[in-house]
Amino acid sequence: MLEKEQKLLEILKSAFQVEGKVIRNRRVEIWDHKEMVPAILLMVKTQLGYKHLNHITCIDWLEEGKFQLVYTVFSHTDKLTLFVKTKIDRDPAIMPNIDDIWDQANTYERELREMYGIEFPGLVGDQEFILEDWDEMPPMRRDFKTDVYAEKTFFAQPGREDAQDVRETITKRSGEEIPEFAKKYSRD
Amino acid sequence: MENKRNSQTIAEYIKNWSRKHSLFIMAYGTGCGAIEIPATLTSRYDAERLGIRGAATPRQADVLLITGYLATKTLKRVIRVYEQMQDPKYVIAFGSCTINGGMYYDSYNTINVLEKYIPVDVYINGCMPRPEAVIAGFQQLQDKIARGEADNGTRYKENLEWYRANQHRVIKNWRMPDYNW
Repeated sequence: MLEKEQKLLEILKSAFQVEGKVIRNRRVEIWDHKEMVPAILLMVKTQLGYKHLNHITCIDWLEEGKFQLVYTVFSHTDKLTLFVKTKIDRDPAIMPNIDDIWDQANTYERELREMYGIEFPGLVGDQEFILEDWDEMPPMRRDFKTDVYAEKTFFAQPGREDAQDVRETITKRSGEEIPEFAKKYSRD
Repeated sequence: MENKRNSQTIAEYIKNWSRKHSLFIMAYGTGCGAIEIPATLTSRYDAERLGIRGAATPRQADVLLITGYLATKTLKRVIRVYEQMQDPKYVIAFGSCTINGGMYYDSYNTINVLEKYIPVDVYINGCMPRPEAVIAGFQQLQDKIARGEADNGTRYKENLEWYRANQHRVIKNWRMPDYNW
């Protein structure tokens, strides 16, 4: 069991001294510093046959002050998915550009630049990708308060004056007590 | 004397009667509600028996359907489409997203109240409204037309400054043509 996965992990550990683990059948993850990520990706693409870049994902660890980038690559010969993970500083967020390894990485990196404000030195492409005329903080950062922005920019529909608290109305009608765990959700 | 014509002249009555029986809807879907339109127009619910059918371009269309949530990018296109449509023009808004934002009420890229940006004739609530509800909404619009009360195109022109001010709040970089209707 998990022989292919263990073998891949051994190769990567001996080549790069990375940390990693086998998550489960057909899933392997490794993590390393951000400077090593392009070298690892180039090596797994050219020598190990991980030719398919599935995705580049970003996770915002606001409390740690870090962004975690996850590069998901797939091998059509081994049928294995490899996750290459790295953590970078939130401010300034700079990550080496890999669109010379995979052309399609350009699209993902432009999206990350717009939605998280991560800079990729040497990335070619319009600054504006999905959003139009955006002049605020990148919206997918967790410290962007989307409800405050919506309140400021859009109009709120005033609620009905006869709006009732559903839970209280039902308990009053049926004569039951509101259970203890649900009291914190009551309006008054 | 109150009668069926509701104090309209004969010419107005005939004009409104013929308008209400040929509602051409703009083939433009925003949001998730557009998926209800094929069901409404095709054989099962067959809205064409009420004179409701699709039109290819804004200039041929009478009705603009806002089917669901409206992103700020889409709002820009909707305004352009609405301004290109010729009088008489009507807007039907679908679903709770156009009424108060629905489940996207705190989203940074969807507007909440459609009525602040373009005038709305009929709201259909539901998330999503079924084709029966859509047809009921169309019948409500037909009644409104027959009574001669559906004149939102004129209302838009008269209150253009107010609508423009609201639109500028969302569309910051305004690069839109001006139409001299």
